[in-house]
Amino acid sequence: MGASPCPTSIHARAHRLFDAVLLFRESLYGTLVIAAACSVLGVYVVLRRIVFVGAALAELSSAGIALALWLAGQNVALGLSTHPIVVSLMVTMAGVLFFGSGSGRGRIPPDATIGVTYAVAGAAGILLISKAAAGEAHDLFLHGNVLGITRADTVVLLAVAIPVLLAHLIFYKEFLFVSFDRETARTFGFRVGFWNLFLYLTLGLVIAFAMQFGGVMLVFNFLVLPAVTGLLVSRTMRGTFFWSIVSALLAALIGFTLSVPFDLPSGPAIIAVSGGLAVLGFGARIAQRR
Amino acid sequence: MSSLVSFDGATLGYGRRAVLSGLTFDIPEGDFLGIVGPNGAGKTTILRAILKSLKPLEGTVSHAPGLRYGYVPQRDQVDYTFPLQVVDVVMMGRYDRIGLGRRPGAIDRELACASLAHVGILNLANQPLSSLSGGQKQRTLIARALVGNPNVLILDEPTNGMDLVSTTQILGLVRELHERDGLTVLMVSHALNEVANYVERIALVMNGGFRIGTVDEIMSSTVLSDMYGIAVDVDSVNGHRIVVARRDSSMPDVAHGGEPMPHQHTRPGSPIV
Repeated sequence: MGASPCPTSIHARAHRLFDAVLLFRESLYGTLVIAAACSVLGVYVVLRRIVFVGAALAELSSAGIALALWLAGQNVALGLSTHPIVVSLMVTMAGVLFFGSGSGRGRIPPDATIGVTYAVAGAAGILLISKAAAGEAHDLFLHGNVLGITRADTVVLLAVAIPVLLAHLIFYKEFLFVSFDRETARTFGFRVGFWNLFLYLTLGLVIAFAMQFGGVMLVFNFLVLPAVTGLLVSRTMRGTFFWSIVSALLAALIGFTLSVPFDLPSGPAIIAVSGGLAVLGFGARIAQRR
Repeated sequence: MSSLVSFDGATLGYGRRAVLSGLTFDIPEGDFLGIVGPNGAGKTTILRAILKSLKPLEGTVSHAPGLRYGYVPQRDQVDYTFPLQVVDVVMMGRYDRIGLGRRPGAIDRELACASLAHVGILNLANQPLSSLSGGQKQRTLIARALVGNPNVLILDEPTNGMDLVSTTQILGLVRELHERDGLTVLMVSHALNEVANYVERIALVMNGGFRIGTVDEIMSSTVLSDMYGIAVDVDSVNGHRIVVARRDSSMPDVAHGGEPMPHQHTRPGSPIV
């Protein structure tokens, strides 16, 4: 008789995998909330061609966390080391106001302004964290560590994500119109500046909170790749949102699940799955055309 | 005919910089007006004043009460990467009537389909916007402008970047909407030769100057040479007027105190697009 895989061994492995994921289930829930919120906003980020605004806001948010930790090290306010989100939010919202109001549109091309913000905020984050008390320990704030998400963190993430997603559900028509054709929206009496700023505000809020746990790379991934997958698979807005959310949740679920037993960093594992799903989406698009 | 929009000594500009000054003219109900001039001359500035998105620096621009505009933007202002079906885009023309936070309903969809039928592309209702040709995209945007039941249809460079066939079809459609439905139409364009053969009046915006009149009044060598700053002739081919710049003269005769010499071609000229 030839060798066959031992059913008991496979069963035992699956059990261990399940146990490991179960152990970190709170972290998984938090990651899924980040995935869902970012993937909805990501559709606008990709369609409005503000992908790098998303990246710049994520870097600003990261710099805000670093600033809070550095300030805490300087004994300015000790509470900042446990709640760096306060400073992160302030810095991110400053960025939201800057980009959302169209400031900086002048002699300097907008993409250069975004690039400057991205580079300076990224460098500032690293410099500040290197001089913060126990800087290395705080590196996690910058790179993210979804395994550290607790139930309380998930509740906080939900408290931010649910109102943001509800706002996007209720004001879908307004966000869509000012994103698709702002000139015509303006002639219809839509307050284009207000709706743009509102959209950026929701983006800034989600990024600031998601950044704390996911880090720049993972948040940027959830803002871009699922939306790209959605656009590749679907030809309608509804379908794009649906597939964006589904692919983000799938990437979070699969990436997270595989990362725990195989001792892989969770963020990059999730991003790798997101990339794989985008490639599948590309394949689906090609198949649709044939 | 009552006036829908009245400019009275209006100076238009941005900040403190005046782009056009002393504008006094009316847009009566049922008008078919072409606002023509080169890029940067101030056509869009006038358009913004008409659409109430720009207040005059001096003078007044008054609008008839209850005026509704159907606006057709330049095609490149619209982002065709959005995964929208044609009918979804047309329904946007109803968005201001639906109310804040509410979604379009079955009635809005029916009206959008009726509007698409009106411009002859109902069969494309469920097609992705990105899959349409330039002419079909323009018809979609016209249908969106019409679905809100406007008093005035405003088209911004409707034939920009289109081939001859699409240009003729779109301009024919716009004229049909004016003649059949009695719609007041304002068409902004840099292409005088195209617009002059469809509209009833022309507002010429050039080099800070402004002149408005019937097509016959504006399409004269004297007026056009004066406005363009070069000698031009106006010819007619099968009833279509064509403005041609003289190759042998870079300056108009009027600039030297003399009358231009219409219809005296010593050499072939270049059509003014």
